[in-house]
Amino acid sequence: MSSRFLLTNLAAVALCAGATARIGSAQLNMDAPATPKSYVLFAAEPQTIAANKKADLEIRFQVVQGFHINSHTPKSKFLVPTTLGVQPATGVKPGPPEFPAGQLYSFAFDPTGKVDVYAGRFTVKLPVVATAGEHTIDATLKYQACDNASCYPPKTLSVKILFTAK
Amino acid sequence: MLAGGIALVAWAGWQNWQQRQRALQMREETRVDLIPNTQGADADDSANGGSQLKGKSAPAFTLNDLSGNKVSLSDFKGRPLLINYWGTYCAPCKIEMPWLQEFSKKYAADGLQVVGITYDSEVGRDTIARDTKQLGVTYPILLSDPKVENAYLSGTEVLPMSFYVDKAGKVIEVSAGTGSKDQLESMIKEIIAAGAK
Repeated sequence: MSSRFLLTNLAAVALCAGATARIGSAQLNMDAPATPKSYVLFAAEPQTIAANKKADLEIRFQVVQGFHINSHTPKSKFLVPTTLGVQPATGVKPGPPEFPAGQLYSFAFDPTGKVDVYAGRFTVKLPVVATAGEHTIDATLKYQACDNASCYPPKTLSVKILFTAK
Repeated sequence: MLAGGIALVAWAGWQNWQQRQRALQMREETRVDLIPNTQGADADDSANGGSQLKGKSAPAFTLNDLSGNKVSLSDFKGRPLLINYWGTYCAPCKIEMPWLQEFSKKYAADGLQVVGITYDSEVGRDTIARDTKQLGVTYPILLSDPKVENAYLSGTEVLPMSFYVDKAGKVIEVSAGTGSKDQLESMIKEIIAAGAK
């Protein structure tokens, strides 16, 4: 059994202060073919930053309901951390991605054990300095998902980050 | 004048390309098949993977253990057998593996054999050996191959997956995901009690 997941509110997230990007509202198209066996969604949104100044692009993800993924800093070195690989892009100098803190999670059958996870929405910030104009950055999120009793193999999610530097 | 016209056409083309890229981006975002949050949660998987073996003979296998020795299903003929698929990245697997170790000792006199199989062999044998050692596991850990993996898992990605095989070699239960320790022991008692010697 499967159903479609609609991200309706992600584009309405409040803007952060400082050098973060401006996020426009996005009407998300649900008619496109589904991506099979994915546990993380990417909400692509137009962003505008200041040209030739350091600014943070916000890359917004949502873990599918009922699942969690290891955070960037899981509690165990044996777990697969969430990472973001960024491809070189002309006119863009990216810095290392900045990941949010995770939240502690315990499996019901092991209440004393703690893993550090992302569930629901999470945002990775990518500091960049970009020349004026339209830019596209190709990036790949690597993650490994579990539910309340099982785990699934590590996955990758390719994303295109389109933004304008003015 | 001509150069200006060419430049204008080129500029318009570039703007059009940018617009199409944006439209493409918007179309590609945010859709996925949802999988309900139940134990062994991948419903699409559980419909195919593993559960089809219940009531059937356990598929034969011959696999290498971590020392490179061949281990076959037939080596355990006549014994209650728990075949546990796990992965190095799987936290629930690592919670239940010490339980399996404990039960393999507790029910050794009843002939119980526990076998772990991992199909994430891309992490390397050393990593698998390190993990099992840290977990205190001494029962055989085998490295799966695609044929055996398909026979048991049929494409499922859910881990752990456990197959409870009675003394007659029949799979009497399949479990996806980790349950309670009591549930696990209950199933072990069932395969010890079931099946002819």
